[in-house]
Amino acid sequence: MAKGLRWFIDSMLGYWILLLVISLGGAAAIYELWLKGRV
Amino acid sequence: MFDFTIAGVEAPIFLLILVGFTVGTVGGFIGVGGGYMVTPALIVFGFPGYMASGIDMTHIAGKGLVSTIRHRQLGNIDWTMALSMVAGTMLGVELGVRVLVYFKHIGLSSIALLITSVVVMFTLFLYTQMETRRAHKKLDELAHEGKKAGRELQTSSLPAFFQNIPLAPIVRCRTARVVVSMWVIVVVGIVTGLLAGFLGVGGGFIRVPALVYIVGSSTHIAVGTDLVEIVFSGGYGALRHSMEGHVDMMAVLFMISGAMIGAQFGSIATSYVRGPAIRYILSYSLILATCGAVLRLAYVLTGQSIELLSLFAVMLTVGEMIFLCLFIVSLVWFAVRHRNGKSVPAWVPSLVL
Repeated sequence: MAKGLRWFIDSMLGYWILLLVISLGGAAAIYELWLKGRV
Repeated sequence: MFDFTIAGVEAPIFLLILVGFTVGTVGGFIGVGGGYMVTPALIVFGFPGYMASGIDMTHIAGKGLVSTIRHRQLGNIDWTMALSMVAGTMLGVELGVRVLVYFKHIGLSSIALLITSVVVMFTLFLYTQMETRRAHKKLDELAHEGKKAGRELQTSSLPAFFQNIPLAPIVRCRTARVVVSMWVIVVVGIVTGLLAGFLGVGGGFIRVPALVYIVGSSTHIAVGTDLVEIVFSGGYGALRHSMEGHVDMMAVLFMISGAMIGAQFGSIATSYVRGPAIRYILSYSLILATCGAVLRLAYVLTGQSIELLSLFAVMLTVGEMIFLCLFIVSLVWFAVRHRNGKSVPAWVPSLVL
């Protein structure tokens, strides 16, 4: 795995950022699929 | 989509089950009801505000019971502490509701609520994060020296101060291994109940740090003991909301179907990690909830004209639940890998058992 990407697992801050990006992406997908027009 | 006739809305079943599962996991792990995440999410799904509160409270009562039973089996409940706190908590909640009604009469309830929640959550986040990082660093040093650390390590000097207050009666909390004046526990219950009643939440995110940093309980026992309070406050809230017609039981059942599994998993997950790991997740929950509250405050202060702020608040609310659940799942996964001698990131070994 590239050194830069490795940081997202090896560092606690990097892992935090990685999970947050995945989660917000999931939230955006949920919004697009189910919540658009209701908010 | 399902037609919830009592609430008068159509909402996606999958999202209710997902919310129930994620908040159940988080709640069982850090000892919160999750109302500060669930109520805004239900409003976003289309439920009216009063219905969102009622559904949330009722599901919290059921989920809290499941988590409490599991934590009791894990030996994480101090009944002396729990029962000493109940009366104080109920009194505090009643006071908090009256303070809220006062602010409502002078027309400042939304802003007062949001500002208070931002200040309280951010302060708790700062203290919990700083103390937990010190504890994590100390655990790493112990591991480096080849010394074995226990399930808990806490570096705050506050518990020693509060445990030395000589106000009778002094109670011996056997499970928590704490000897403290009963008044300390009661006042913790009153103050946390007041904040909870004012903010309209269960109060776990205030009570768990209070039990750890003021009473001096270990994090695991603070989580389990707090869930007992949540069963009481959630049960009472569910009863009151039901009497007012604020509960759609079908919505509650869908959420509980996810929460039953999540709460079990979250509770069991605490046995894979040390206290600082639980406090890390609690502090992340606080900072993300603070950011959501800041966005909602900005939306209200700008006259509710910038819809983008409301949209970001929605995404943060849903994203926060997924983030916390993912972090807890990964901690358990790393713990299992570490037990089996497989490689894990360097920051993990001192956080897991």
